[in-house]
Amino acid sequence: MGITALQQTTEEASSLGYGGSVPVGLMVAEMPPVECLHLDHVVQTVCALESVVLRSFGPEGGQVLFTRDTGQAMLSRSGARILTALRLEHPLARMVVECVLKHSSVTGDGSKTFILLLASLLRMIHKMACKEPNVSHTYTSRQTAEASTARHLADKILAFALEELDNLIAMGVIPYGCCLSWEDFTAKKHLSGPSNNDCVQKLLKSFFHSRLGRSHCDFISKLTCELLTHWKFKRDQPSLSLEFVNDNLDALHTPVSGFPISCSRLIEGQVIHRDFATPCPQTEQKAVKAAVFSGYLQPKLLNAGQVLQLGCGEQWMEENSKNNRSIVQFSAWTERSLECVFANLQSLGVSVILSAVKQSAAVLSLAAQAEMCVVECVSEDELSLFAQLSGATPVSDCWMVEPEHVATLTFCRPILLGAHRYVHVAFNDSEERVTVKPCSLVICGLGEGQTDQYTCAFRDAIRMLLSTWEPMGMTATTASKRTLQSTKSTSSHVDQIPNVPPFQQCGLQPGYVIPAGGTFEFLLHHALLQNGTSCSASDDIVTSGLAVSQLLANALLIVPRQIYSHSPRHFLQAQARFQTIIQNHSHPFSLVYKQEHSSIFGESAFPLEEDKLTKHRFEADVSAKLFMSDSGLESVSCKYQLLLAVLQCLSSILHVDTVLHTHTALHTQSRRLANTSWEGTDDETED
Amino acid sequence: MALNGDDNDFFDWEPPTEAEMKVIQARKERQDKISKLMGGYLLKGYRMLGDCCDVCGTILLQDKQQKLYCVSCQELDSDVDKDNPALNAQAALSQVRERQLAAQAAAPPALPPAPAPELNEGPSTSQASVLVPQPRPEHCEGAAAGGRALLPLPAVPSPTTPAPTPALVPPRAPVSPQSPVIPPLLQEAEEAVLIKLRWATSQLQSSASLETSIQLCSLIASCANSLRSLKELSQ
Repeated sequence: MGITALQQTTEEASSLGYGGSVPVGLMVAEMPPVECLHLDHVVQTVCALESVVLRSFGPEGGQVLFTRDTGQAMLSRSGARILTALRLEHPLARMVVECVLKHSSVTGDGSKTFILLLASLLRMIHKMACKEPNVSHTYTSRQTAEASTARHLADKILAFALEELDNLIAMGVIPYGCCLSWEDFTAKKHLSGPSNNDCVQKLLKSFFHSRLGRSHCDFISKLTCELLTHWKFKRDQPSLSLEFVNDNLDALHTPVSGFPISCSRLIEGQVIHRDFATPCPQTEQKAVKAAVFSGYLQPKLLNAGQVLQLGCGEQWMEENSKNNRSIVQFSAWTERSLECVFANLQSLGVSVILSAVKQSAAVLSLAAQAEMCVVECVSEDELSLFAQLSGATPVSDCWMVEPEHVATLTFCRPILLGAHRYVHVAFNDSEERVTVKPCSLVICGLGEGQTDQYTCAFRDAIRMLLSTWEPMGMTATTASKRTLQSTKSTSSHVDQIPNVPPFQQCGLQPGYVIPAGGTFEFLLHHALLQNGTSCSASDDIVTSGLAVSQLLANALLIVPRQIYSHSPRHFLQAQARFQTIIQNHSHPFSLVYKQEHSSIFGESAFPLEEDKLTKHRFEADVSAKLFMSDSGLESVSCKYQLLLAVLQCLSSILHVDTVLHTHTALHTQSRRLANTSWEGTDDETED
Repeated sequence: MALNGDDNDFFDWEPPTEAEMKVIQARKERQDKISKLMGGYLLKGYRMLGDCCDVCGTILLQDKQQKLYCVSCQELDSDVDKDNPALNAQAALSQVRERQLAAQAAAPPALPPAPAPELNEGPSTSQASVLVPQPRPEHCEGAAAGGRALLPLPAVPSPTTPAPTPALVPPRAPVSPQSPVIPPLLQEAEEAVLIKLRWATSQLQSSASLETSIQLCSLIASCANSLRSLKELSQ
């Protein structure tokens, strides 16, 4: 493939008049162009991407205006959107953007922070690699030495992170955080301290603030909380209901453009994004029965390219002496059989038919005659949601319609949302179903682009909540360490919490949040530095471990530095404030125990000794101070996943050292030709 | 962590000197500027290619008219030329000051720092007179005067031994260093313009008529303009 592609390239080249400079004979024998990837190039690429996202980063960040040649314009602050809009043909840049997008599709947030952290780590590694004593001063081997040092460092940082990071976070960051428990999500407000409902809303509010701006974040976060409250499965784990909402999100929201965002609201029941195919009769009935058909009622027998052979039974042959087996009579027969189907449906009381495919005209006319309304071409997601909520299974064989295929609805009527008419259904409360109140979200925006943005922000918020409640990884050794600690201190308290396993008690429960604004980075920075200095041995392995901790700690500080970039004084103030807060707590283990103690028991009337009580009050004060003073919250689990993803991406891009440019048959242009337009080259990267 | 080296080189390594640190710092700032400019162009809709510039190694951008664009070559000054005293007055001045510092003990009390050599000036005296006065070659005029006049002075030791990186140390050997960037054609054009300039100046001093003076003044102005554009071409 390589040789033929090159030949094609040369033909193109010569046809465009560049043939004179390209000796054809030589090109055929030559290898495809190879480019060595130097550390400088890697740093330069990622720093260019960083400067793209830098100005939109943080709560004070600006928006990027996207314009198209058609005149469409859109403002956005979303990192994923900005990065996908860039025209990048550099293979490394594309690889980085792909990593960012993959990460963002899982956690829903953090794409700009990803690039920032990646660039900062690369710069530090570059600095460290250049400082290393060089073998010789010749160009090639210095580059190779730098590249291998960098690779080595990146691998060590990744290994360190995979092993130690969750412990460091558990010891250094989580004590200052608050655990959001799902059960208290909709409970009454707690009088002392920040209530959990407030916390979830604060978390959503700071997310929407960074994504959509200051003006609407409050409203949308309230709306999202309401939606999640309605969809809470009472008896199940919190993550299940979040996952349910996440999977069915397309069916659960309706974008409507042309209205201000304050018109967004929740609608009871489900909105099916199709209109009625037959006129909907105005029924005064209380209950409406519906059936879902996944196939054709009148089977399509004649498709293009098929041959239909008609035969008939002997009885029919005797009755009709004319002996003509024409297609007209056959279709008349199928229509008569259709009438039987409809008679069956009528006997079951069905008045609404939801169909996944487009039914034939005969079906529609028969339905209209029978005063049934038909909704066609309903998407699979919506049908499956409908089936789940109503408890009726879709009909596969239209001859066998049983009562269990029939769903009972409170109503089924058209609804006008914006410029479209949809079908609005509401379900009867049945005890067999999970006790949720199904509702659907209508998202309004002034233009299509804006509505799309709000929808994406909403989707990402759900993903962010889902990853907040994802448990962080933990090794076996830390689990045993934890249980030892907890059993020593919680002697009489263990039996009060029978269901919670001991290691979960020690503060590695999912759902931890900390104040936003660089708190995570400051705390982790401090924890890393402490961890580095505490391993005070003198052999090489540990000193390089110290270097790794220091490198990671220093690289982390870029996030708060950029958040406060508009005023460096605030950065220093924030740093000083965190230092004092950290120094006020002496022993981390006792802190862990006391914090989780206060977050789980909180306001319960549990008898405590005097000295523990005062310490409780102090720590509750500190954490309350942290929560009250700062503007928002962010999830610890998301940050942890982000950091791991950044380190893995770093390690993989530093392992690339050669880029091979190959041309497929479609893209027949060599790199130097500038006149012809092209889609893009196919690049392969090899180790 | 010397991965490829033997132990001798490991122990021979010294921390970078101040001059090297300056170079490293300058390079870092330059890289930051390049990244910022590149980010701006990417946001404007330029395409980031997978190729690098031949001259400086920066990643190439392509605009919507399919033209290739290198941020560092076409916007920032070149890294190497900036430090070449044969091409840049600032570099020449900094080199002069460094030598002054070196020769402070032995040399006569420091003269006032040389003003930025102007293009129209005649033979500049201050720079050449600091150290051993050299007979001025005919073709050494303008900004290149200071640097070139000092080049054949091997006896003066400089306190800050700059690392032998190609960026800092000017080519010592030839008096008339031709940097690879300036083609000799531009050099000749410069000389011709300067000769005309000198002639016009001498004519102006001796002219008595108003018309002639006005014309000579305009000739001098256009000579200065052409010298400026020649300088821009050569950079």
